[in-house]
Amino acid sequence: MPLSVLLDRQSVFSWLMMAAPLAFLAALVGYPFFYGILLSLEYRPVAHTGTFVGLKNFIADAHDAVFWRTALNTFIYTGVATLLKMVGGLGLALAMNQHFRMKNLVRALLLLPFIVPTVLSTVAWLWMLDPAFSVVNRLLVALGWPKPGPSWLGDPTLAMVSIIIINTWRGLPFYGITLLAGLQTVPSELYEAASIDGAGGWQRFRYITLPMLRPIILIVTLFSVIFTFADFQLVYVLTHGGPANATQLFATYAFDIAMGAGQLGLGASVALAMLPALALLIVALTIYLRRE
Amino acid sequence: MTGPAINHPTTNRRGFLKLAAAGTAAALSRPGPAGAAEKTITILHESSFIKPFDEYVSKTLAPAYEKETGIKVNYEVTSVGSLPTRISTIAETGSGADVTMNGLLQVIQFSNKYLDVGDIADDLGKAQGGWYDAAKEGVVVDGKWKAIPFANIGQLMNWRTDHFAEVGVKKFPETWEELHEVGKKLKAKDHPFGFELGHGFGDNHGWLYPLLWSYGGAEVASDGKTVVINSDETARAVDFCRAFFKDTMLDDCLGWTDVSNNKAWMADQISCTNNAESILWFAKREFPDIAKATDQAMNPAGPKGRFHLLNLISHSIFSFSPVKEEARAFMRWLMEPKQLGGWYAIADSYYQPLLHGYDNAPMWNVEPRNLPYRDALANAHLPGWPAPASRQLAESVAKYVVVDMFAKACAGTSTKDVIKDAEAQLKDIYRSA
Repeated sequence: MPLSVLLDRQSVFSWLMMAAPLAFLAALVGYPFFYGILLSLEYRPVAHTGTFVGLKNFIADAHDAVFWRTALNTFIYTGVATLLKMVGGLGLALAMNQHFRMKNLVRALLLLPFIVPTVLSTVAWLWMLDPAFSVVNRLLVALGWPKPGPSWLGDPTLAMVSIIIINTWRGLPFYGITLLAGLQTVPSELYEAASIDGAGGWQRFRYITLPMLRPIILIVTLFSVIFTFADFQLVYVLTHGGPANATQLFATYAFDIAMGAGQLGLGASVALAMLPALALLIVALTIYLRRE
Repeated sequence: MTGPAINHPTTNRRGFLKLAAAGTAAALSRPGPAGAAEKTITILHESSFIKPFDEYVSKTLAPAYEKETGIKVNYEVTSVGSLPTRISTIAETGSGADVTMNGLLQVIQFSNKYLDVGDIADDLGKAQGGWYDAAKEGVVVDGKWKAIPFANIGQLMNWRTDHFAEVGVKKFPETWEELHEVGKKLKAKDHPFGFELGHGFGDNHGWLYPLLWSYGGAEVASDGKTVVINSDETARAVDFCRAFFKDTMLDDCLGWTDVSNNKAWMADQISCTNNAESILWFAKREFPDIAKATDQAMNPAGPKGRFHLLNLISHSIFSFSPVKEEARAFMRWLMEPKQLGGWYAIADSYYQPLLHGYDNAPMWNVEPRNLPYRDALANAHLPGWPAPASRQLAESVAKYVVVDMFAKACAGTSTKDVIKDAEAQLKDIYRSA
């Protein structure tokens, strides 16, 4: 069959057109992913050829106390930060949905924490949390806290609190703006009808706003959980996992092992340990969304 | 079966495909960058804290070498902290640079991708007074010189003479116990100490390994296999560290990274820390009043002696480099007294030579307060000492095993528990040895 006729077939032509994006996906998403899985099954010091060791790396992880500390940290960090972002973001969206002067300017400004590169804004936080230069501590000391004020990044618990607060600050606009977009699609007739039927503010929120927003809340949460779970920059800049691994997350620990220690296989196994938890969550959310 | 035709005219589609094919062909046949005749050696370096140091290569040494030999030297600088990642990429892909600078652990990790440069090292040693023992400890892997030692960036005690004078101390204390006593008095006068106990790159290991050694503790025995951290000596070092932290330091030190002590120093917040010479270099330029009152001293001694952490930097040639022989010749040239001496001198004595020929070089007269850095080389060792360099040692450093052992004790965990945790971690790491 001549080439020209073959190309006229829709099935052939459409696949031809899709070949480029598919190759792109395979090269940039598929290859690293499967290479990562392969690495995690190897004893693979950097610059050496690997030897297949099966699940040995994962067994080593299971025996590593720091790995479990890291897992716990990551779940606490993701859970608390996501919850705060969800509640805060919803509040933000509701407030932004009101009519007030310079509404558009305020909405644009809200996006700032999200726009500024994470490393830059985190360095700013680093200064803000430094006991000697901190605006936070200066304020607290002025209010009567004993000098030099709390050690935000030196105390293990406060260090975790600090990274959660900063992650929330950074992620709030994403929630806020997306939910705001959702709010604006709720038909005003519904509220009018409810008001005529005698529904108060809380009832309108509970029985109209929330159900209408639910699909969007779910999707935003899904994204946010993935981003937060795999967070790296914030911790890397602020504490590098310290003090004594109190803020170590999967991504930073995997980086230290793979790049610092040069154990690519073991590092990949730590990074991949996030996969089952994330996959379960994604599947659960997708099933829930389908049912809606 | 023929598939249904798409709605728009077929000529357009065919024309588009032809056009695309023609475009690709044109792109492929475009001539490549000119000049295969001209040879280039690319040398990768981590950006120096001392700005003129990098400029000296790109503006003085490289042009001089090109004039002499016609070979271009491309000096590529990578940001602080990114060197290991860059070398990993180059070693894994087999391209990107011909010569690289190494930090402390890279010689061990990448030794099988580096050329044996023992001949160059031998000749250099003979010509320039011999190598310090520490130089060999840092670059000889399995009996072969896998790098040419360049310099040590020592970690020493930096102390404020004015604050110490307030409690009647004119000379830096000789032992950790004495320093502890002075520190108590200084903290009471609102001049606390600040030593990094968090997850930085160097200022934490810089004093904690020497502290451990000076009390007689060690991670592994000299066989490089037997984990010996669980000892009375380690326990005494940990107990000392907890009290030292509590009585002399800021609470915040537990969360510090490498910038923190420099920041606190320039803000007149602390009276003693452990850092490289860069702290004085920077103060002299930006905070002259603080620089005037800054002095430096060797680490204090413990019951088992005085120790320092070897923080050696060196240069290696990649075995896959297409210009191996040219790179060897370049390294020989670079390490000649004229070039090397000039390069050292431009940074005062931030980089401490590892060849005895420079022991009394004029560079030491520029800043006599840096002399302890030279003398500290006599008892400087790699982390993991007395075990030889190994990949396990690198893993222990990257996992902050020793740092976290001390840090957890300072945060209140019992000595027994922190040592047990470190022992379990080290046994996992050294299982593969």
